[in-house]
Amino acid sequence: MSSTGGLAQFQQVFIEESLEGLDTMESSLLALDDGGDGELVHTIFRAAHSIKGGAATFGFPEMASFTHEAESLLDEVRGGKRAIDKPIVELLLRSVDCLRGMFDRARAGQPLNDATSDDVRGELAAMMGRAAPAAAVQGRRAGDQAEAWIIRFHPHAGMLAGGNDPLRLIRELAGLGELAVEADLSRLPALAKLDPSECHMGWSIELKAPVRREDIKAVFDWVEDECDLAIEPKPSAVVTPAAPPAPANIAEAAARGTREANADSGSVRVSIDKIDGMINLVGELVITQAMLDTFREEFDPSRLALLQHGLTQLARHARELQESVMGIRMLPIASVFNRFPRLVRDLSQKLGKQVKLELHGEQTELDKTVLEKIGDPMVHLVRNAIDHGLETPQKRRAAGKSDMGTLKLDAYHRGGNIVVEVSDDGAGLNRGAIVGKAIERGLIRSGEGLSDEAVGELIFQPGFSTAEVTTDLSGRGVGMDVVRRNVSDLGGTVTIRSKPGQGSVFTITLPLTLAIIDGLTAAVGQERYIVPLVSIVESVQLKPEALKTVVGGGELFRFRGEYLPVLRLHELFGCDGAKRAIEDGLVIVVEGDGSRVGLFVDGLVGQQQAVVKSLETNYRRVQGVSGATILADGSVALITDIAGLVRLHGRRKAA
Amino acid sequence: MGSKREHSAPAAVEIGLPADCRMAAQAALLAELLGALDAPATQLDGSAVERVDTAALQLLTLFRREALSRGCAVSWRGASTTLCEAAETLGLIKALDLPAAVPA
Repeated sequence: MSSTGGLAQFQQVFIEESLEGLDTMESSLLALDDGGDGELVHTIFRAAHSIKGGAATFGFPEMASFTHEAESLLDEVRGGKRAIDKPIVELLLRSVDCLRGMFDRARAGQPLNDATSDDVRGELAAMMGRAAPAAAVQGRRAGDQAEAWIIRFHPHAGMLAGGNDPLRLIRELAGLGELAVEADLSRLPALAKLDPSECHMGWSIELKAPVRREDIKAVFDWVEDECDLAIEPKPSAVVTPAAPPAPANIAEAAARGTREANADSGSVRVSIDKIDGMINLVGELVITQAMLDTFREEFDPSRLALLQHGLTQLARHARELQESVMGIRMLPIASVFNRFPRLVRDLSQKLGKQVKLELHGEQTELDKTVLEKIGDPMVHLVRNAIDHGLETPQKRRAAGKSDMGTLKLDAYHRGGNIVVEVSDDGAGLNRGAIVGKAIERGLIRSGEGLSDEAVGELIFQPGFSTAEVTTDLSGRGVGMDVVRRNVSDLGGTVTIRSKPGQGSVFTITLPLTLAIIDGLTAAVGQERYIVPLVSIVESVQLKPEALKTVVGGGELFRFRGEYLPVLRLHELFGCDGAKRAIEDGLVIVVEGDGSRVGLFVDGLVGQQQAVVKSLETNYRRVQGVSGATILADGSVALITDIAGLVRLHGRRKAA
Repeated sequence: MGSKREHSAPAAVEIGLPADCRMAAQAALLAELLGALDAPATQLDGSAVERVDTAALQLLTLFRREALSRGCAVSWRGASTTLCEAAETLGLIKALDLPAAVPA
């Protein structure tokens, strides 16, 4: 499509910017709904105006005219001709959804309008007291735009002689999309009577691409007078006017958060500050390198101090550069949090609950990969909190609480981890129901003596649900086990704290990045292993008498009042030349998968940051090893997977 | 070429299509094909075809249809990609019994 081809690169930027504009519109509308000030209307208007202008410029007339309707309505509000009220906010929110859909379709190269967008457009016009342009819309829909086209093409006999070859025309048509060509041979004369320069064939061509009628016509421009041409939308593929949209149901509202999470693109926006910082550092590196270069020409022992200084600087700059490069991948969690106001609003309305959403720590940064994957589990937790956790106003009043429930999302850094909390002040876990269900499912025998934590753990069992009534939400066949699995795929953990009558707190703990870990390098024979710093509790040297051997060959040692098993890494990984006597080596106490073990190694070499290289990608999955890294001397060290080692040990014990 | 009828033992005719198999070449081709209509079997060789147009494919389609209706066999000894591709574009793969072009 030559008319828009040159614009393609700008269209992408336009779409990205517009999606941001839509986010702004949405959050401002939600703020307005909560009684925000008039400045918000201006913000929304400006966003809509930019989208309209861009859409018209970059070849999306449908989008421009749709936005124009919304903009007109906003203009009336802005000019004080109309007071903003719930129905208007509702309609504008739906317009935002429609525009998002249009952008999705624009990316996929599909027709922009669909039944919903036309309906919303009609409603916008109706709200402004004008007859909906629906008739025109439908006329256009049937006329100019379709999912697929049937083209009937019968060249006149003289067309070939005129130098126009149907073969070339159909080839050109194939450039628009996939074709199904059927030749009509019914008009062919007898061979003896054939004049080879005359065309007696015709074609019925199905073009399976949502292009405009003009684009098809353009192919046949030159032969208009030399053929019979009919271009019709393929009957079943015409976008038929659908029934008015059913009010958005709960499942749809709930799905919205998920859908947005999946629509992520493969690019990162980086602030100029970050880039400038890196350029600065690179500059410093170059200077240091130039300084060190002078030693190459002549080395005078008197300048040793200078050399050492240079090397120190080099090391510092390299580390800083590494940090800032890693920082590019770090994005504020706000992009995940931002989808919740809408989700919470829609869900609470459908469920007849009053929910106040509090967001904290939106500026907390975490790795983009982690960020993309944390959205779904969070949506799940939020959905659960509103559906199961928070009570209806009646129940809250009966319990002596305010009608309005509070849902809090909080993100902060703790150590090398990021912690995300989803908390509500609802009814808390129903211990009785959970224990009852667990007994029914045979998970436990009785609830007696079970701590609250242990009861909380039960809800993470696959397929566990205590919902008395299956709602749109709880009937979706995904449970807390999926949340836990998703989070542990990211190397994190989920825990729950709950107090009856006071609410629940779900805590997700995640590593800041998946690309680099801090670890201790441990020597085992000739091998080096990296033990992640986060899982290390302490390292101790044991005397032979501290080691107890139990039946079955296991070894235990006493550590702060509890007996921990000793895992000899050289045995587990089969290393030669390792120390065997317990007093010669070192025991690193580590924690993983909720239990502690001691890892017996020859000794510790030092602490270092390890750039994680996937073993799975480069080799295959190895039990007890989460990846590999390359050490300063160029040799490869394996990174131990503590949880895996603990499980490995458990299996050996059982065997 | 009306002499074919005199043959008592039916013989297969082989027709090679020229490299430039476009309209200009077709008067000759038509004559050759007309003659082949009398043979019990015709083998077409399109392996040399480098350029082809609608007129050529129309001619071949018509020939094959008539030959088949007379009970004569028409087969391909070879067909160039160009030929197959063109036949595919025009929706004549079946009518010509050509192999579908391998996607380029």
